[in-house]
Amino acid sequence: MAGKEAKRMGDRLAVAAENVGIPFISVLIAIAIASVIIWIAGFDPVAAFSALWKGAFGSGRQIGETMLRATPLMFTGLAVAYGFRAGLFNIGAEGQLFMGGLAAAYLGIVLAGLPAPLNIAIMLVAGAAVGAAWAFIPALLKAKVGAHEVITTMMFTYIGRYLVSWLVTGPLKAEGQIPQTEKLPLESTLPRLHEVFAFFPDSRAHMGFIIAIVLAVVVWWILKYTTLGFEARAVGFNPWASENSGISVSATTVKALCISGALAGLAGVTEVMGVHGRLFDQFSSGFGFTGIAVALLAKNNPIGVIFAAILFGALSSGSGTMQLEADVPSKLIFIIQALIIFLVAAEQLAKWIVGRTRKGVTESA
Amino acid sequence: MNTKFSKFLVLFLAFALIATLAVGCSSEDEPEDEVTDEATTEEVVDEPMSDIVAAMVTDTGGLGDKSFNDLSYAGLEMAEDELGVEIKALESNEIADYEPNIDQLANAGYDVIFTVGFLMTDTTDLKAPQYPEIVFGGIDQFSAEPASNQAGLLFREHEAAYLAGVVAGLATLDTDMDDRINEDNIIGFVGGMDIPPVEKFEVGFTLGAKSVNPDVQVISLYVGDFGDQAKAKELALSLIDQGADVIHAAAGLAGVGSITACQERGALFIGVDADQYLTVDGSGDVMLTSVVKRVDQAVFQTVKAVVEGTFVGGTNTEFGLAEDGVGLAPYHDFEDVVPAAITEAVDAARADILSGAITVGASRDAL
Repeated sequence: MAGKEAKRMGDRLAVAAENVGIPFISVLIAIAIASVIIWIAGFDPVAAFSALWKGAFGSGRQIGETMLRATPLMFTGLAVAYGFRAGLFNIGAEGQLFMGGLAAAYLGIVLAGLPAPLNIAIMLVAGAAVGAAWAFIPALLKAKVGAHEVITTMMFTYIGRYLVSWLVTGPLKAEGQIPQTEKLPLESTLPRLHEVFAFFPDSRAHMGFIIAIVLAVVVWWILKYTTLGFEARAVGFNPWASENSGISVSATTVKALCISGALAGLAGVTEVMGVHGRLFDQFSSGFGFTGIAVALLAKNNPIGVIFAAILFGALSSGSGTMQLEADVPSKLIFIIQALIIFLVAAEQLAKWIVGRTRKGVTESA
Repeated sequence: MNTKFSKFLVLFLAFALIATLAVGCSSEDEPEDEVTDEATTEEVVDEPMSDIVAAMVTDTGGLGDKSFNDLSYAGLEMAEDELGVEIKALESNEIADYEPNIDQLANAGYDVIFTVGFLMTDTTDLKAPQYPEIVFGGIDQFSAEPASNQAGLLFREHEAAYLAGVVAGLATLDTDMDDRINEDNIIGFVGGMDIPPVEKFEVGFTLGAKSVNPDVQVISLYVGDFGDQAKAKELALSLIDQGADVIHAAAGLAGVGSITACQERGALFIGVDADQYLTVDGSGDVMLTSVVKRVDQAVFQTVKAVVEGTFVGGTNTEFGLAEDGVGLAPYHDFEDVVPAAITEAVDAARADILSGAITVGASRDAL
């Protein structure tokens, strides 16, 4: 019994080591390849990466900047990861994010005057609900008629984005020349971290970061310890077996995609409430799509999403310093991101190949 | 077979890893020498005539947009050559980069910072008062209450677009001029985003065309951003399908897609910002002229004023035809095609604008 327990423990450790080790090695290799590219382009890779580090973690302010950029990616990363665990590819997190942002920008004005904690709570819940609602129709289509969620959530992204685009240039446009909504009153915004915690250095990082981390733990707990999470994982693993053992695949699909949509919606809410204080056309620089990369790097583990999002946030916030001090174009950051994703994906590919040959051997034996 | 395969895979991966690491390491060694080299040479060569350092923050289009980011940088390069100013450009990958990029430059000791593009208006208004020692130039930014160290640099694009409208309005009637001109009295406009600086192009272009050809129909369409070349191409194709034979696009980099559409379907094109005959390779066969916006001049003049100590802040300065801040590019390949009637009409309109006989409206209310 004890031996079995120890073996299981050992297996778990091995899996954990693989889950942490492979993304880590992927990142290292990506940095090595990027160094070669920087060097070929005629710049100094050591200077580039030390500037990148300095820009991402060099001072309290820069750390705050990294946290600021990691925040929306944590939400969208969690959204995509939750979907993946239930076997759903929510490629439309961007659209749910836009709708969440829209809800926040609208409610923030309507609720002006209420006490801040109440205001913030209503906006967060409503934004998540709107994000979930935006995912509900694709989820229903998937569950009832089998319409693939990659197509439907993507189409809903276009609808959401252009709806926002129209609203900020028309009905919800604030006074003035710029197409954007009214600035939110103070009681409708998320406080910055240095305003809440005296020890935290002055920076743009806001409470959304804490909310995201709490949610990552909650999502991890849901997946691991609740029936809801178990059903999602079971359906993701094998929908036919799940159906046969009494789990409703369609109900689970709808629930999972709506939870995913709620998480993505929160990314929009916290961007509007914490960063911009208003909504405009380009308030998201593709966080919904970068979230897919974050989930992939985290291997769909909610706790892993925290670290993957911080890595992507660091790349984004460090790129300015890299440009300033090492003259390396900041667009290079996108190459590094792509390399990381490519290597993580390629690892899955290698594993898949090994798995296939193994299966082939056992079957023929 | 299984074990063989895994062994091979492990060997291969190990080899690949060592190879990458080896290359990575060697690459990390060599450039360090380069840096020391550069540092020493810099000390010898670099003797700036002025100790002013000037920088710019691009909008998300970045350098290489063949439009106002590149033109602003050209202005900085002019300042580097002629005034010995040290220059720098920081690109913004996303809107969240605006603030930290400005902070980085301010903390690094830059004396002049240009923030490029309308979308940075709010950020410039926020940052200029925080760094009162630094001069801020906001390209395309109208600041409601500019700080004393801040200057909004604006252009009367509508004046030059009016001249382009005169060209297009007459050209679309003149079927003898070019076989791509059809019988329909229709011309087209493709805008990037529907924001005031682009609206000025649309309005100027339309007013100019109607001034010489009151019955002309001007169809205006908007891309929604400044980068989507595919969409700008589709819009131009739909304009051509509706009978437009001269198209003016004010859509930044996206407008290059409209040029392709004109080349594929046989229509004439009027460029924007830069003389696109020169900046877009192989566009000469359709490029009638371009509405030029001398962002480079505005940047250069501002740096020059700072160097000479004559800079006055707290203003929104407009550059129009009179200041040589906007204009019409040469006809280039169409030099012998464009009839005298058109060139004369353009000259007359220019004279009227300069004398004040015509005031070109800048917003749709003027249509």
